[in-house]
Amino acid sequence: MKRTIIPFGPQHPVLPEPIVLDLILEDEKVIDAIPTIGYIHRGLEAMVDRVEFTEMGFVVERICGICSFMHGMGYCVALESIMSVEVPDRARWLRIIWAEISRIQSHLLWLGLGADAFGFENLFMHCWRMREEILDIFEKTTGGRIIHSVNRIGGVKRDISDSELIAIVAKLDELGKTFDATAKVFASDASIRHRLSGVGILSMADARAVDAVGPMARASGVRMDTRLTGQNLYDQLEFEPILEAAGDCLARVVVRMREVRQSIDLVHQMVDKMPKGEGLPLENKPRGNPSGETFTRLEQPRGEVVYYVKANGSKYLERFRARTPTFANIPAMIKLVKGCDLADVPNIILTIDPCISCTER
Amino acid sequence: MDKEAFLARVGEYHKGGWRLALINATTVPSPDETTAGVFELSWAFAKDLEFETIRENIVLADEVPSVSDFFGAAFLYENEMRELFGINVTGIGLDLQGQLYKTSIKIPFSHAAVKARLEARGAATAAASGKKA
Repeated sequence: MKRTIIPFGPQHPVLPEPIVLDLILEDEKVIDAIPTIGYIHRGLEAMVDRVEFTEMGFVVERICGICSFMHGMGYCVALESIMSVEVPDRARWLRIIWAEISRIQSHLLWLGLGADAFGFENLFMHCWRMREEILDIFEKTTGGRIIHSVNRIGGVKRDISDSELIAIVAKLDELGKTFDATAKVFASDASIRHRLSGVGILSMADARAVDAVGPMARASGVRMDTRLTGQNLYDQLEFEPILEAAGDCLARVVVRMREVRQSIDLVHQMVDKMPKGEGLPLENKPRGNPSGETFTRLEQPRGEVVYYVKANGSKYLERFRARTPTFANIPAMIKLVKGCDLADVPNIILTIDPCISCTER
Repeated sequence: MDKEAFLARVGEYHKGGWRLALINATTVPSPDETTAGVFELSWAFAKDLEFETIRENIVLADEVPSVSDFFGAAFLYENEMRELFGINVTGIGLDLQGQLYKTSIKIPFSHAAVKARLEARGAATAAASGKKA
């Protein structure tokens, strides 16, 4: 049969960021897909040669506008590990509160983009309206809606007062109710089911074989979540990863929807358990320059991110590396696209929740 | 590097149900002009809560065998190592022939590129301290 090559991207209506897949087709079936990235590669990792480690955190949180907070947090956790800095308790709790709020806004953003891709624009607008409310919380507590710059090596720059925390919890509860109504549409609308159910199935075995991470793996039943390591105080919370068994596009939507609800619950638990009071210490400033190396893992909204930091005792790091979840999920995406119909390619690509900006750090 | 021993170790991780979490390269410049700089390579594996690495130091002339026979997802890391560091990785499962990244600097983490950046930084620092004086 005659083969046709269709370039998918770098600009495409469903792609929020540029990636190219050369789709090799036989009739309407995709036989193979060859990825090309690099359209927005910024060489941020190479900046360690000229940006001091104390300022590199500001660069790292600009890897991506959606995962900005957690990139900043991951960088600081890595440096704190190398420099043996004890972070004050309240700062640690504040970090994971912001981290879970980050997950909510990221999932809402993605659910909106997904809805737009499968032609449900009204749902897109609902999701993004809710996301704006989360960004309001960020603006109020950090001063920034997208780039927060609130993490410091050794702690955080700003506190959230106890009364403000109670107001945030109330706001999230209110938002949760609105979200439930929207989630019902995602889960039950016939047109959504028709487009997503049974499409792009990644079996549990395949998810393991291609080393998928995050909601991508969990939607295939793989119990994998870096928060299970118990680091960053997650061992003090009641937490069990959200799993779905179907492994299709719809399962990936459902996992993220349920994770929005779970993150709201986690913020509740965090506010209950964190030390209360005004004027508690928020930062232990590190002394000297870092020397040593570490691997640090966090569970970002898209899955596990791994940071590698190597320092040589000078004020410049020798190496900083971020392996982002989208980078880890590209092999899974290619696996899913092979054998699917051309019309399903946009939905399959979107359901990995690709963040090319992260991948192109 | 001892390729056979290395691949045997990687095979053990695969057999033991570990997943490939990261392959990383670090350019380590030579401390003097008489020796060549090296690349520090790490293969990181994760299983449940555990995280382990294999570390190898290589020079530019060395061949590094692909681990994509064991871990299919390795091809992205390996293409990246080749394009950004100039490391000769052989037998990559999906060889993208230098088409993964489009960078303005060819091999931005080569020893020559890193040396150029460090020299530029030194010159900038010297110029700044000269201005202060």
